[in-house]
Amino acid sequence: MADSVQFLISGLTIGSIYAIVALGFVTIYSVTKVINLAQGEFVMLGGMIMFSLLKLGIPYLIAFLTTIAMVIMIGWLLERTIVRKAKGADALSLIILTIGAAIFIRGIASMIWGKDSVKVASFASNEPVSVMGATITPQSIWVMVFMLVIVAGLFLLIEKTMLGKAFRACSVNPLAARLMAVSPKKMSSFSFALSAGLGALAGLVIAPIIFPAYDMGVMLGIKGFSATILGGLGSAPGAVLGGLLLGVIESLGAGFISSGMKDAIAFGFVLMLLLIRPYGLLGEKNVGKGGL
Amino acid sequence: MKRKGIQQMSWKGLAAFTVLILILPFLLSTSLMITKATFAGIYTIVAVGLGLLMGFAGQISLGQAAFYGVGAYSTAILTATFGISPWLSLLIAITAPALIAYILGHTMARLHGYYLAMATLAFGIVIHVLLVEWKGFTKGASGFYGIPKLELFGFTFTQGISYYYLVWAFALLVIILSLNIIHSRIGRALRSIHDSEVASSSMGVDTGRYKMQVFIISAMFAGIAGWLFAHMSYSISPGSFGLDGSILFLTMVVLGGSTSVWGAVFGALLITAISSFVQALGSKISFITSDFEHVLYGLILMLVVIFLPQGLFPAIAAKLKPFLEFTGRKKKSGSITAVKGDQRA
Repeated sequence: MADSVQFLISGLTIGSIYAIVALGFVTIYSVTKVINLAQGEFVMLGGMIMFSLLKLGIPYLIAFLTTIAMVIMIGWLLERTIVRKAKGADALSLIILTIGAAIFIRGIASMIWGKDSVKVASFASNEPVSVMGATITPQSIWVMVFMLVIVAGLFLLIEKTMLGKAFRACSVNPLAARLMAVSPKKMSSFSFALSAGLGALAGLVIAPIIFPAYDMGVMLGIKGFSATILGGLGSAPGAVLGGLLLGVIESLGAGFISSGMKDAIAFGFVLMLLLIRPYGLLGEKNVGKGGL
Repeated sequence: MKRKGIQQMSWKGLAAFTVLILILPFLLSTSLMITKATFAGIYTIVAVGLGLLMGFAGQISLGQAAFYGVGAYSTAILTATFGISPWLSLLIAITAPALIAYILGHTMARLHGYYLAMATLAFGIVIHVLLVEWKGFTKGASGFYGIPKLELFGFTFTQGISYYYLVWAFALLVIILSLNIIHSRIGRALRSIHDSEVASSSMGVDTGRYKMQVFIISAMFAGIAGWLFAHMSYSISPGSFGLDGSILFLTMVVLGGSTSVWGAVFGALLITAISSFVQALGSKISFITSDFEHVLYGLILMLVVIFLPQGLFPAIAAKLKPFLEFTGRKKKSGSITAVKGDQRA
């Protein structure tokens, strides 16, 4: 029993990260119809930049905010310099484009930070808490809290503000949005900046747990993408649900079957689910065409 | 458009290419370069298959290295562990990936666009994990050792010139087969799917079936390449068949251009050359490492998609066209269709 609780909690922790990454995918996809496979690299940059800033002796909170600002800049630049240039390319080319960006960023990162994992200090104390026989580190509580705050914040931003209204307008009908003086181009930049920020947050909050390295973005990106697809492409609640589900399945698989097989179990599950429900958990049937 | 035109063009190209392949070993000075040229042949086989899938069926596979790995490991296990003849295991190395592609293809017939990218990505990772973890068969991450060399009528193909010719014989077969597929009924159906799936299915083309067929063909090609790779090296390890491998194949096809078979061939050759060059440079300059290679691939992918969406080969072919026109037919058959035909050929 204690084991199950332990696995469940670690699954929810990593699942929260997948959920945040998946929300990043949805954010960009809903406005630009681009699947940004460089999303995982934002997470990696969040962890690594934080490490460098802390090493320079910058106070934790300032380093935290600076990291977010820097990654948002990178995301914005990515949209301005690369994605916008390729506007109008087909879905296949856009995927390839973002894969290229991901490899590029990852390569640069490995040249800057080397190949070793680094250690980032946790937010507060590191004293584990015991709940129902399972030990929880405070950082994993932070992860879940952050996930909830992000979900609430995104909801408020998209549903309750004027900016969010413009955002939704571009997602539903870019042409009509333009007629109403909402610039889809600006919204496209905004979506990249926003999801880079989300990625950075995910990286910052998970860094103390997983010892970031230059290549951590690969798996996180792919898992976030799976979570997005699992939940139904374009659905934000689906992305969160997909992320949590993927995290829990992976963690249970690692605990009860084999830790080496956890990725195979997680992706095997995604493949199975796609066979049964090609449009994902919460996706609408007409989105089942891969959103195209 | 006259059917003869396209075919004449492609056979001429094929003949020229064959001659180039035959004389290439005499131009390469070191045995390392011959090994690289052999690898180029192996990659060509995979890239041509992936090119068919991307350019003609309009599908993306982010797990092509997994089929390559299935081919390599199935022959390695059958020959080294069970002592079966490599020539017999070639059949398995082709059918095993084909079977997997058939099963995956059932999802593919329904999955489109991004969902398919996801499915092949997930599949590639599952296979890689299995290769690492299924230690009883694959010997795990440290690699599988003791794969026997190929023998034919008492002649052993060792790494070097003999293996180079063997690999390229297979590669040329694959190229010829692909050119034939493109100029057949299947090829026309595939092109129509690529241009508009809705339109072609309303014309009575069974789009699901054709996409499945080309997916299976691309998996079979990757299996052949895996078989060649396994028997070339004494040992194989899962590292060659992961996501990096799949992305390498993708880069080749994107760089060369997926709208023609020659694009994929060209891409495979070019990437192998670039990679060899960077490695040679890396041994002299410490700054240039394998990471640099990845940065370069990332850059290539981005630049090609932005500036040359058709790939490098069609662009070069278009530039060379005025020179080639002298030797061949005059432009009788309407310039637009002629350009299109040449790019596909």
